[in-house]
Amino acid sequence: MGSAVPARPAMAAAPHRTAGRVLVAAASLWWTLVWMAAAGLILAAGLALDAPVGAWLALPCFGLCVNLAAALGVNERLRRQPGLLVFHVGLAVLALLAAAGRLTALNGTVEVTQGTPFEAGHVEGRAAPLHPWRLDRVGFVQGPFSIGYDPGMLRRHTRSTVHVPVADGGWESVEIGDDRPLKMFGYRFYTSPNKGYAVVLTHIAADGASRTGAVHLPSYPLNEHRQANRWPMPGGPVVDLWLHMPEPVLDENAAWSFRLPEEATLVVEAGGARHELKPGQEVPIGAARLRYDELRAWMGYTVFYDPTLPWLAAAALVASAGLGWHAVGKIRAVSGDGDA
Amino acid sequence: MLETYSLFAGLGLYAAATLAALVNAARRRPGTGVVLLLVAAALSVHAVSIGLRWQRLDHGPYVDMFEVLSSNVWSLHAAVLAGVLLLPRLRALLPAVLPVLQILVAWLVTLEVRDTVFPVTYDTVWLPVHVLLGKAFLGITVLSVGGSVVILWRRCVAPAGFAALPSTKLLDEINFRLLLLAFVFECLMLLAGAVWAQDAWGRYWDWDPLETWSFLTWLALAGYLHLRVTVRPPPEASALAILAIFVIAFGTFFGMPFVSTAPHKGMI
Ligand code: HEM
Repeated sequence: MGSAVPARPAMAAAPHRTAGRVLVAAASLWWTLVWMAAAGLILAAGLALDAPVGAWLALPCFGLCVNLAAALGVNERLRRQPGLLVFHVGLAVLALLAAAGRLTALNGTVEVTQGTPFEAGHVEGRAAPLHPWRLDRVGFVQGPFSIGYDPGMLRRHTRSTVHVPVADGGWESVEIGDDRPLKMFGYRFYTSPNKGYAVVLTHIAADGASRTGAVHLPSYPLNEHRQANRWPMPGGPVVDLWLHMPEPVLDENAAWSFRLPEEATLVVEAGGARHELKPGQEVPIGAARLRYDELRAWMGYTVFYDPTLPWLAAAALVASAGLGWHAVGKIRAVSGDGDA
Repeated sequence: MLETYSLFAGLGLYAAATLAALVNAARRRPGTGVVLLLVAAALSVHAVSIGLRWQRLDHGPYVDMFEVLSSNVWSLHAAVLAGVLLLPRLRALLPAVLPVLQILVAWLVTLEVRDTVFPVTYDTVWLPVHVLLGKAFLGITVLSVGGSVVILWRRCVAPAGFAALPSTKLLDEINFRLLLLAFVFECLMLLAGAVWAQDAWGRYWDWDPLETWSFLTWLALAGYLHLRVTVRPPPEASALAILAIFVIAFGTFFGMPFVSTAPHKGMI
């Protein structure tokens, strides 16, 4: 037992010294350059190959973070200069937040038919692996919207009215558009330039059971001459739908606003037969019937979720303020006639 | 009419200031008073032109190449003027930095002047904030470009040139410190841009060509600052690096927004 006592400090010191050496090595400013160069290469490769590289940047971000944390631990000069210290801590926080944001984010798009509720299942896009999926809690009903154009097809303001549920069980109308998103449960819905026409159809099966839904035609006026879509009927053939608009809605040389066409006919093609329908008319297809109820508009949104947003801005601001303080002090020191 | 006259009068005065600075330098005369007065006069006259256009079109100089370049010619000269007034020891920098700016003046003269329409996404306070921060960044950087020109001039042409300026070693240090401040404005500019992009397009950063190039500019500047701290390259190498950074920053400011058709133009 006695012989074990003197051995203890030596055994404890060895790993301590190794850890110290690892920390010093990890704090080297050479790593900073290596990671910066790596980030630059990844970006340059992304530009050259025209590929999305955002996820790969997590690696140099994480590398810089480790590097910074080590430097803050061992570098006396970094800790002694408060402005510089604030900047580097801010930078480390920023890198961590950006990584956290990229791991929980959702970026998508959705189209909502006027007069109908938003449906979470219709959102198309990418969700990061740790996204907390609360989209099904979001509820709003699309109201009327307007998107104006100036002569020459210059898009102007977008105003979209949405009805959102309020605490007492009623609904409240909110106007969003341009730079004002709808914010719900951490999700932000931004109006997008995408909008178009929705054909509301009722499918009446042979047993009389009917179902009503909307088929969205491609974005207008982007696809002005391609106002068509295909729709697989429940248990039946795939029908081709085409909206024939004899009078154009848009006028390239005048100011105009997105609206429903005054005169439009729905052309339905199924199994080689062609039918032209006005709202309210129906046509037999196989054993079922298809009724064209009405034409509505659909509005397109960009859906965004990233809970780190305000914190990112705050960290960037604090980091910049720290470096600004440091820089002004250093410039003052050389502004007179003396040496630096 | 007055808009055009005052534009050309302003550009002429910038050229006159540059000429006066070069004549002073060639004659080894320190007097910079005339040069500063000419720059101040040019700024005032040019501001009249920018102001008249602003009033006529009901939007600031943000939209096309002519407007952006014109306002940058103004702000870069203003930054140089402010710089040498705040740091009087850099006054003799004028003959090194003003000729660089004349390249922009010459470019401006070749541009077609057309009326522009203000895109909806520009209708936000973040636009002027973003633009002003960018102007501060480029303005401070241009001062260090002047310092770099002097360092390279002394190395390649006349070792005793620009005698009224600090030693090459001190100039190199001043360049570094100026870029430190420029970097702060660059960071804040990117921040304001990101906030604006979030509002306008629902994403703060998406690696469109302009965003990627601004990040590369940021990275180049961050890389220089760290190299300067770690390996302390000779002043001439730093000077070359600063010129390279200026070229990248310049390409990002004036190249990308007008070359690329990406959403950054704000119009669809
Ligand atoms: C990636 C973005 C980074 C930027 C833009 C940046 C920028 C700067 C700047 C501007 C200085 C000021 C130098 C001075 O005034 O003397 C500095 C100093 C310093 N930085 Fe960074 N830095 C970054 C990341 C890091 C990282 C990852 C480390 C980790 C090792 C680090 C460690 C240091 C140290 C130790 C100093 C003090 C140098 C000295 O005075 O000896 N930096 N940095």
